[in-house]
Amino acid sequence: MKQIIHYSLLLVVMSLALSSCVKDDTDMADIIASYQVEPANIELDFSALTEAPDQPVTDENDSAYNDYVENSPWNKVINIDFDGNNATVTGRVAGVTIQTSGAHVTVINMSGPVKFIVSGHTTDGSLKFYGDKRFQILLNGAEITNPKGAAINNQGSKSLYVVLADGTTNRLQDGSTYTDVDEEDQKAALFSEGQIIFSGKGHLATIAVGRGGIRSDDYIRIRPGVSIYVNSTALDGLRANDGIILDGGVINVETSGLGAKGVRSGGVMTVNGGRLIAVNNGNTREDTSDEGLADTTACAALYCDSLLVVTGGTLKLKATGDGGKGINGKHDAVINGGSTTVVATGTRKVKKPKGVKLDRNFSITGGYFYTYSRRSDPLDVAGNTDIATGYKTCDFGPKAIIIAY
Amino acid sequence: MARSQRKQLIATLLLMLCTAIFPTLSHADDAGLIVSAGVSRKLTKKLSMGFDAEFRSRNNFRTASRVGLAADVSYKVLPWLKASGGYDLLFDNNQEKLTYQDDGVSYNNWRPSYWGVRHRFNVSLTGSYKIQRVELSLRERWQYTYRPSRVIDNFDFDEGEWEDHEVKGKGKNVLRSRLQVEWDIPKCKFDPYASVELHSTRQLDQTRVIVGVSHSLKKKHNFKLYYRGQYYRDKSDDTNIHMLGMGYTYKF
Repeated sequence: MKQIIHYSLLLVVMSLALSSCVKDDTDMADIIASYQVEPANIELDFSALTEAPDQPVTDENDSAYNDYVENSPWNKVINIDFDGNNATVTGRVAGVTIQTSGAHVTVINMSGPVKFIVSGHTTDGSLKFYGDKRFQILLNGAEITNPKGAAINNQGSKSLYVVLADGTTNRLQDGSTYTDVDEEDQKAALFSEGQIIFSGKGHLATIAVGRGGIRSDDYIRIRPGVSIYVNSTALDGLRANDGIILDGGVINVETSGLGAKGVRSGGVMTVNGGRLIAVNNGNTREDTSDEGLADTTACAALYCDSLLVVTGGTLKLKATGDGGKGINGKHDAVINGGSTTVVATGTRKVKKPKGVKLDRNFSITGGYFYTYSRRSDPLDVAGNTDIATGYKTCDFGPKAIIIAY
Repeated sequence: MARSQRKQLIATLLLMLCTAIFPTLSHADDAGLIVSAGVSRKLTKKLSMGFDAEFRSRNNFRTASRVGLAADVSYKVLPWLKASGGYDLLFDNNQEKLTYQDDGVSYNNWRPSYWGVRHRFNVSLTGSYKIQRVELSLRERWQYTYRPSRVIDNFDFDEGEWEDHEVKGKGKNVLRSRLQVEWDIPKCKFDPYASVELHSTRQLDQTRVIVGVSHSLKKKHNFKLYYRGQYYRDKSDDTNIHMLGMGYTYKF
């Protein structure tokens, strides 16, 4: 009897011990797999883009009519040729006064539309324009560096047509410190109080080491065929107070300043075509307010104070710094077409590096939309998210979201 | 006490032992097994030593949680006072650890369960007092456990990748105070016993309650069957566990 008891006990013990071979870990395999996602590759891309022919608006009643350089007469022409520390001005136009000081050229334009053909090279020069008349700058192989301020500064509030002559390479660079004039702004290497409309089939590189790259206190329109590269180690790369319209072109923006934005639009930003790639490597800026309170400003590849609409083209936006966002939108974002790829790979020490952060609503009805954040939300929408039916892919992962039509 | 009464008492105690686990179980609590086997040798009248091997499980008996080897020496200082010291080599299956971001929802890190070694040293003083057939004992034990550093796998959800995580070496001092009562029932080979033990570091961390019976066979073989409840103060790190224990000691 005793033996039976002992053997039974031994059997129970062995059974229980043998049954203890199961792991008690949570099954995380699928969850981990969903986190092991590599972000879409976003690099600057200067390759040519095949675009539909640019069709200027011909209807004078169209609000965009005046944005087309073709719709103005350009029979008044002045040539400005830089050569080291000198600038040679040729051509005379009534109502246009030009002063030169070395390679620093100041133009007072009281005439109608005037075309300034700019060429040559200077490492200590600039172009400054006064006058409330629209005018054109045809960059025809110009390289202008101003060590004390903006390379091109338009104080007029009318349209500035920047035309990049076919096949030319142009370069504008500001200085690390600016010598300011009272009651005059100069916020970037290429600055205009009025709207800037880019056209042509040349290339413009803008290097900013003191302030922004390209900035308008009005709006910026970029037309097909243009190739623009902006590199700013200081403030925002490409910025317009009243909106940005991207109809085409190849735009590469690279920024790394603390709290800087790659592309910033104070008004409605519309992407209709072209290819915009903005890579922001900057970190969050930490300030102390006058009241002694801590204040932080995060970077973003694209920052939009107003509505963001994508109807076509390619948007590739990447933020790699601490708290850097791919898109930081203060209004709605509407994706109706095109291809939008957003990646945030930064750390989250000060701010959260979200892929897309919107203070209002997000809606998508077409195109391709991808957003990724390594260390925060890929898509953070304070309002409503509206995804129209008919999509081919609608994949919400913890790191990446893909919606494709 | 009549033979039939004794049998009734033993049966009642066993029933209590078997059912003791279930009333105290809550959904959050765990259950496991402790199986041990050892030898004990009396070297002199006052000095003895022993070796012990132990196996434990958790996760409702399904997961091995510890394998341990122990050696101890004890010395009878006075008829009522015993001093002892020992060393334990412990192989622990450390439970997984999942942490979340500040929002409390998003994953932060996941460290799967892993086996690790610990070294434990202890010294004890045990005072006993017998009232007729009931023996009361109070044991005070200082215990030092050292966990050597080692590198383990950790999945960082932020980075979306596995990384090496160093578990740093750490020592821990614990004071264990155990009050035990044991009843020697005449002409009965089963001796019921119960104890309460408090584990304290800077504050009370764990309370252990044991209810069991021991059975000796020819004074050489000793069997124990018991229930052990381990209750933790901070349940974020440990889960209360109810254990069924079985032990065998060969004395020579």
